[in-house]
Amino acid sequence: MKEEIIKIILKTCAELNEQLKNKIDISKRENTELYGNNGVIDSLGLVNLIVSIETEIELKYGKSLILADGTSFPMNSSPFRTVNTFANYIVDLLNQKSF
Amino acid sequence: MQKEYSGIFVSNFNLQNYINILENDSESPEIRTFQAPYGQVLNVLLDNKENNNYDFGFLWVQPQAIIDSFNKLINGQLIPTSVIINEVDEFCRTVINFSKTLKFLFVASWNMPYYNRGWGILDLKNNLGISNNLMRMNLRLSDNFNDFKNIFILDSQKWVDAAGKDAYNSKLWFLSKIPFDNIVFKQAMRELKSAIKTVSGESKKIIILDLDNTLWGGILGDVGWENLRLGGHDFIGESYVEFQLGLKALKNRGIILAVVSKNEESVALEAISKHPEMVLKKEDFVGWEINWDDKSKNIQNLLKKINLGPQAAVFLDDNPVERARVRESLPEICVPELPKNVMEYTKALNLLNCFDVINPTKEDLERTNLYLADNERQKLKTELNSLDDWLKSLQTIVTIEELNNQNIQRAAQLFNKTNQMNLATRRLGESELTQWANQNNHKLWTIRVSDKFSDSGLTGIISLEIENKTALIADFLLSCRVMGRKIEEVMLNTVINYSIKNDIEKIIAKFSHTPKNKPCFDFWKEKSGFFFIQEENSFVWDFQSPFPEITQIEIKNNY
Repeated sequence: MKEEIIKIILKTCAELNEQLKNKIDISKRENTELYGNNGVIDSLGLVNLIVSIETEIELKYGKSLILADGTSFPMNSSPFRTVNTFANYIVDLLNQKSF
Repeated sequence: MQKEYSGIFVSNFNLQNYINILENDSESPEIRTFQAPYGQVLNVLLDNKENNNYDFGFLWVQPQAIIDSFNKLINGQLIPTSVIINEVDEFCRTVINFSKTLKFLFVASWNMPYYNRGWGILDLKNNLGISNNLMRMNLRLSDNFNDFKNIFILDSQKWVDAAGKDAYNSKLWFLSKIPFDNIVFKQAMRELKSAIKTVSGESKKIIILDLDNTLWGGILGDVGWENLRLGGHDFIGESYVEFQLGLKALKNRGIILAVVSKNEESVALEAISKHPEMVLKKEDFVGWEINWDDKSKNIQNLLKKINLGPQAAVFLDDNPVERARVRESLPEICVPELPKNVMEYTKALNLLNCFDVINPTKEDLERTNLYLADNERQKLKTELNSLDDWLKSLQTIVTIEELNNQNIQRAAQLFNKTNQMNLATRRLGESELTQWANQNNHKLWTIRVSDKFSDSGLTGIISLEIENKTALIADFLLSCRVMGRKIEEVMLNTVINYSIKNDIEKIIAKFSHTPKNKPCFDFWKEKSGFFFIQEENSFVWDFQSPFPEITQIEIKNNY
């Protein structure tokens, strides 16, 4: 499942790149930096990424997730730092949630 | 290099995604954006500071957030339509004042999400429904802005329709106050870019058409005109007829049509004349190059004959190989993809957003006839022995007038559309032009041209800026339709005679090179009689010798 989620995140990053001046370097695959110290996206970019990924997850798995539920994360443990941490977070949520 | 335009963007929602899409789009023109702080629409609109730094303004607001009475209606209160309309009028007055600080202002029309059902089956009832009131509000915008030539309403409903049920994005709204999905913003971007190109005079003027499997189904040379698929009880034939009707509608709006096709000319013209279901007739085409030569070469020949540059042309051909060839050899020509299925042709044609005009003038609507008359002129030219005989035989009359209420619309259009014979290539709107011409030391003449074949209408402008006995020719522009018929000389004669009468000692014309105005430079260098000063890129008339008499043209001075 995690591989599929990584694919979804990378595809969404590629789409988001169309509207970014500083592009997300998705060549690093799961190690791609997203949001935080070394990431190139700002808070609006993160919102766009989250909304698009939620839509893709719903299409693929038929499950409705809320990836930004208002909880604030410390920057060093934010799930949105890299594609890998983001994918782990989504997998956890999908496993936790009983549908 | 792409053209770049700058705009001020005003909105009562978060436009950042739209701005990002606009700034990162690779299609011409490039847009530089300045975003007014969102949520402060009225403050920005009421701030009377000049916005001369921007080429345009763009205003996109949600109706419920700007028209308070409409918001109350949405929230279930019963509000008389008259109250809402009064508030819309007040908003429009503010927008009109704001527009006076800008060259052009684009205003997005208002819409509501499809899932807001309002009063359901009563929603289109007078004085009650949300939809009913919203329609009236949009019409009121249209009525109020109608007389303001620099305000254009862009139909945002089309952007929302194109995005379908996902147009409104609740998640983006609650997380970042962005109401729309990016599909809506992408549509809005295309329309805004199209609008900017239109007001900047970059609209296309001619559609060059292939024949086989483009205007009709089948290969004419193989099946003969009697067996082409065109009209009849045949869904393919009907699709071609509908496509031709779409082209005819564009022709009626002033877009000229021509044919470039690999066929035998006589056979193709016979098909056009004889097939009973042909919507487009021979006289709908201003010209054709029908032979077996390379299409790029034929397109160049055709455009040369009708004095148009490749940037004015769209080429439609069903064959992807021909399209690729033309794209490669003539990159300035717009060569859109045609769908593989002819049933999609008309839709693809209607989606082309490069034919819009600001104010269709009489000259626009009669453009095909004007070109056909020019064909007659050229035919006569080949029959007569000398250029002089030909010019005399045309019985040309040039009427010179000052700028007035009757000609300002066409004059402004010429300013924004003329590329080839244009000395300075200044782009001015109606109000800017009037303001410029009204200054005491400025003179501007409009030039109307008619001859025995047609009335070409207002086709030229020449203007002077006078300082201390020196006249600077600020503008010298002439429609390509009448170039090379000594009208250029008449225009120079006009300013020289005026200068003599007003004790002017020197006339200077500063040339501004653009990628398109080489014909103008060539005229000035070879035929104007002015001295060229290369270091200053200027032409000078010093009154040492008289301007040659123009005997072939009757000149009427109505000023």
